[in-house]
Amino acid sequence: MPPKRKAALEKGNGEDDEMDYSQDEEELSDKETYDKLRDTFDVVAMSKRARAAHPKDSASFLFKKCDQWDAQLRPDHLNRPIWVDDAGRIILESFSPLFDDAQDFLINIAEPQSRVSRMHEYTLTPHSLFAAVSVGHSSREIVEKLDSYAKTPLSPTVIAFIRKSTSSFGKAKIVLKHTLTYIESDDPAILEKILKDPIIAQCRADTNAGLIKEAAPKIGVMAIPGTKMAAGANQVAAAAKQIPQPNGEPQKPAEIIASLREDDDDEEIAQVHSFQIKTDERERVIKRCQDIQLPLTEEYDFNNDEMNANLDIDLRPHAQIRYYQEKALSKMFSNSRARSGIIVLPCGAGKTLVGITAACGVKKSVIVLCTSAMSVVQWRAEFIKWSNINPEDIAVFTSESKTLFPRNAGIIISTYSMISMNRERSHESKKVMEFIKEREWGLLIADEVHVVPAVMFKKVTYAIASHAKLGLTATLLREDEKIEDLNFLIGPKLYEANWQELSEQGHIARVQCAEVWCQMTPEFYMEWLKPGITQKRALLSVMNPRKFQACQFLIKYHENRGDKIIVFSDNVYALEKYAKKLGKAYIYGATPQSERLRILENFQHNDAVNTIFLSKIGDTSLDLPEATCLIQISSHYGSRRQEAQRLGRILRAKRRNDEGFNAFFYSLVSKDTDEMYYSSKRQAFLVDQGYAFKVITKLEGIENEKDLAFASAQDKRELLMDVLLAKESDAATEKIGGDLFSSRFASKGKKRGGVKRTAGMLSDLSGGQDMAYSEYAKSRNKELMKKKKKGPQNDFLRKLTQKKK
Amino acid sequence: MVKAIRGTLVKCDASVKAMLVDIDSKHRNEFIIEDLDEEHVLVKETKVAQFKAMLQNMMKEKLKEPELSDSDD
Repeated sequence: MPPKRKAALEKGNGEDDEMDYSQDEEELSDKETYDKLRDTFDVVAMSKRARAAHPKDSASFLFKKCDQWDAQLRPDHLNRPIWVDDAGRIILESFSPLFDDAQDFLINIAEPQSRVSRMHEYTLTPHSLFAAVSVGHSSREIVEKLDSYAKTPLSPTVIAFIRKSTSSFGKAKIVLKHTLTYIESDDPAILEKILKDPIIAQCRADTNAGLIKEAAPKIGVMAIPGTKMAAGANQVAAAAKQIPQPNGEPQKPAEIIASLREDDDDEEIAQVHSFQIKTDERERVIKRCQDIQLPLTEEYDFNNDEMNANLDIDLRPHAQIRYYQEKALSKMFSNSRARSGIIVLPCGAGKTLVGITAACGVKKSVIVLCTSAMSVVQWRAEFIKWSNINPEDIAVFTSESKTLFPRNAGIIISTYSMISMNRERSHESKKVMEFIKEREWGLLIADEVHVVPAVMFKKVTYAIASHAKLGLTATLLREDEKIEDLNFLIGPKLYEANWQELSEQGHIARVQCAEVWCQMTPEFYMEWLKPGITQKRALLSVMNPRKFQACQFLIKYHENRGDKIIVFSDNVYALEKYAKKLGKAYIYGATPQSERLRILENFQHNDAVNTIFLSKIGDTSLDLPEATCLIQISSHYGSRRQEAQRLGRILRAKRRNDEGFNAFFYSLVSKDTDEMYYSSKRQAFLVDQGYAFKVITKLEGIENEKDLAFASAQDKRELLMDVLLAKESDAATEKIGGDLFSSRFASKGKKRGGVKRTAGMLSDLSGGQDMAYSEYAKSRNKELMKKKKKGPQNDFLRKLTQKKK
Repeated sequence: MVKAIRGTLVKCDASVKAMLVDIDSKHRNEFIIEDLDEEHVLVKETKVAQFKAMLQNMMKEKLKEPELSDSDD
């Protein structure tokens, strides 16, 4: 990335003056704005400039940009938990007694990079500082606090960086009030500066020269529903109504809530200044402000919004949100306005409930966007489960069902593709789309926000006028570096949970991760060495008989322990081979819906079905709380996201609170192949979250196992022949075909059962070639199907039995 | 008359052996005296150094090495 960034920087500087922001901007110029902004505020770029003047010693080159050799250690450094280097990286000792305080502080001002057991690493970024300012930290406070935790005095570069970022970011806000758009700031000078810009001046809506002045709203009167504070507030409010106050005047509930706050800061009456801009010029103003380095924060003052109807929604009393959900939401709702941003929680830690609670907080019309029709249904069910909303008020907009809510306010749940679709729509969906476009939405919840391509999301945000946007995800990462754009499209990362902490507290399961190295057999490796297409080599390494044996061994071992096992394979050919050979049920893209449901039901309730094989359709959408063990036999190159999502399948294990319970995650890797290389890449994310991968080079007891598949050399050779032949026959296209479309362009939830193209000769189909069918390893799927019906199935035989009766 | 060749016993992983056999077959079998089993081969003593170098090259070419660090330039 850095070389590219440098190039962009140079380019950006060169073109600075010519850049003209006309009204109909295209993607490209947007992109440049982002890049430019990224460069100017980038701590790396800044420290690079500073480093030129930095004294060097003979070992400097080893430390690159964070050479701190001349920094003075403080005498009491043992008691201070963090190191801060010039590049804005912060290393935190998690064994320090001050750890908890320091972590609470750092999570506000910096982005967590890696949280392994003893050391946590954070990075100061413009966005994290931006977020820090927006939750009420001042630039002085940040510097002072950071300095007090640090083992060495902060370098001037870092201080300058913090000052610079905080002084420009988050100072001005764009607010929707009474459906009109205002730019607001507590410092009139900043507004003056913005107004001096000719383009923004044009977009101004009010004609008087001065600024509007009003008292700032009190900070911290918002009680998040579902927390103890809210419950307490309700009780106090109820009590206040019953008992007449000594002075005869019942206190208002809001004041009580405010007085409940422990940290009542000294209150000055703050003033805010604002001016109005034309609502339809909103995008332009935001872009321009980014360009003149005064980016605007988006906030929604939903309490005072009388134009949009209120939605009658509250959390049910049994819904208690967990402390980390509360922390996340309090960052979103501080100073009683809804702030746009992204919340990152691991799979299974209750992202949906965070979304629903946010909706209950805003109490306006809400639009929820998910990745697939299946999760639309799940979201709807969750809304009904956790909140008291009238089911009528939840509308669903998918290709199958298009409903509207009857009253003024409600919830619409839809998918990204439905909203951003370009093609001609049916009459019905046109009507719904118009309905959506016409309205103002209080909150937009974007589920699995990391998968949405920026262009698509932009289209969505232009189509839907929403006051606040909340992005939810487990893995805020992509292999293509596009993740940064989300900062501008939605907002900064508001909160990221610590996976290890959650699993220690039992909110998600504890997982033992292991990477099992399987030797390739010489025959397979010889073939692997031959120059061929990558996919063929990949298939050879997946079908490695030793790997097969390891898989068989692990399945047997865990089934005996009473685990429910999911085996993942990206490659459908391997999936089928494995599953048939081992006599297990399997599901992949082409499995019909009814068969899938039956298999999943059996997996959940039938003790005889303890193992299922899933292709990559199982990566995200399936919710299987029974699964406690996961074996991965093939995967999509170096995708960190897939690894994390797959791990997510066992994080919500039902039995997670049992004494000493562990879930298991095995990744089977063929030694000396590309898989080893990708495997280390894939694990990067989970390792950063504090998971340790054990490497197993030899499975204990595998040599004593009697009936392992492919034990004899003869069997192995036959398998090899199979694999080689399969590649050449027309079946090959189908296996890899799935990869081509869905995951390389990586974006959306997998569409099931789409059209599949396979190349083949007409003579094949007509039987002209010497092709014969025989089913020697039958699919377990069919067996499960047969179990359902009892008695003879043939018509004739059935008649016979009927006659007998 | 009996002809003796001095040989070196090479013990290696199955995958490395596969590479050795592959190199050997591409060079008119001038390295390996006898292919013993999955993990052992007997190699002409005089050619060991050359054989090693060729194996190194091949490994470099075929296997991707994990990068040490991609965060810095």
